[in-house]
Amino acid sequence: MIKLNPKLSQKFSYLLLCVATILAIVPVVVIIFIIIKNGASVISWEFLTSMPKNGMCGGGILPAIVGTLSIVLCAVLITLPIGVCAAIYLNEYAKDNLLTRIVKLAIVNLAGVPSVVYGLFGLGVFVMFLKLGVSIIAGALTLSIMELPVIITTARGALSSVPYSFREASLSLGVSRWQTIRHVVLPNALPGILTGAILSIARISGETAPILFTAAAFYVPHLPHSPLDQVMALPYHLFIISTQIPNMPKNIIYGTALVLLMMVLTMSCVAIVARIYFRKRRKW
Amino acid sequence: MVNKIKVENLSCYYNEKCVLESLNIDVVQNEILSVIGPANSGKTTFLRTLNRMNDLDITYSRKGDVYLDDNNIFDMKMEDLRKRVGMLFAMPIPLPMSIYENIIYAPKRLGLITRKSYQDTIVERALKDASLWNEVKDRLNSSAMRMSGGQQQRLCIARILAVNPEVILFDEPCSGLDPVSTVKVEESMLELKQKYTIVLVTNNVKQASRVSDRTAFFLTGKLVEIDKTAKLFVSPKEKTTEDYITGRFG
Repeated sequence: MIKLNPKLSQKFSYLLLCVATILAIVPVVVIIFIIIKNGASVISWEFLTSMPKNGMCGGGILPAIVGTLSIVLCAVLITLPIGVCAAIYLNEYAKDNLLTRIVKLAIVNLAGVPSVVYGLFGLGVFVMFLKLGVSIIAGALTLSIMELPVIITTARGALSSVPYSFREASLSLGVSRWQTIRHVVLPNALPGILTGAILSIARISGETAPILFTAAAFYVPHLPHSPLDQVMALPYHLFIISTQIPNMPKNIIYGTALVLLMMVLTMSCVAIVARIYFRKRRKW
Repeated sequence: MVNKIKVENLSCYYNEKCVLESLNIDVVQNEILSVIGPANSGKTTFLRTLNRMNDLDITYSRKGDVYLDDNNIFDMKMEDLRKRVGMLFAMPIPLPMSIYENIIYAPKRLGLITRKSYQDTIVERALKDASLWNEVKDRLNSSAMRMSGGQQQRLCIARILAVNPEVILFDEPCSGLDPVSTVKVEESMLELKQKYTIVLVTNNVKQASRVSDRTAFFLTGKLVEIDKTAKLFVSPKEKTTEDYITGRFG
């Protein structure tokens, strides 16, 4: 074992940490760069707002955008209330016993289940058993189940970041437990809950496997009319045009990827800005 | 002399470990009873049992009874008890809202406000009773978090007064305050004694001698001695009491 002198080992470790950081960033930057370089040329108002033409080799991607937005919107409307209520129960009411600990552990582990498993579960339960068919609502329910553990975990984090003393102060005045949660804990946890929700929207927008069997269609010539309609979805559409259709113009593929990427990045940015805004306004 | 609170044979435990042993003590109406004693003497546990703040702690258990005006507090609804027995904590804990909202928060939640026009009156009276009105009357809508420590503590007193309790528990209320703020809090305690019954837990022996009518000395979970403050500080019956108040203690 060679003994380095302290100065040299300091320099060496610094270099090592720098290189590791650069290695982590480079792929992301390269991906974004390549996608923008190849895809930016097709992005136009028309590309975003018209139906595909010529066997998807031309025209726009409007139905895929609308499809993804409607699935994700439905999923969030389902997940957010359920997730927040569950988080409130677990964080504020549940006694710390074996059962609660198992439930909490299960929630954390559920977040690690592969998304294709959720997709198959959705196919079995929502599409076939509940006979919802391949539809927006079946896809949204599948995504909701997948996203619940994440929402619960972030909401619990937000709730427990509200100082315990606030609860004590409120309770000591004779205010009930629920009123304390409703009027002191929730308002102060809301920023954290909302940022978590936005981030999870960003995450599920790009999910392909869960909607593969439950919501997404190869091609639908019209926009969805009801939650029971099949839709096209951006990630699935991207998969199709890059693998299933011969002679697909490269720039349309990259353009579609760019739109999906921008959607996700925009939402992440909104979450970051929201977090900064709320942190500044926070009074404690 | 009317007994406001009567404690009968109260024992408290954390994880089966006894921290307060068969305590019998009365609190007289409109007096300030101060409780002194070294760390781990059980004085804060005693105080937090009186409005059942300890019930939130799952490791806590107790035996015995506490009566408030002849009603057993362990049979009362927690919200009703805490409305009648308010508590001031060691560190000032204003809620993250404006001064005005801090005061009006509990009356609103408890449904004490029958008419909206009544709100301003409640706020003004509570702040005046806590001798804070003159300092904050021009900035009622600014955040309570931006006040000084002493002002925050008096705001917390005002917040308790706004729900019109019968007993106020002070849990080392001046431990984080400078001497000037301490004097102000003590002055308002003496003022409050006219209307309320006060139990004061303090680490500051001098504070106990300054403000209280009677003083109780706790040691390792037992009540060693309780007497008129004037008497206890001049001629304590027990040797340990004398050692503690003269600062010769362990």
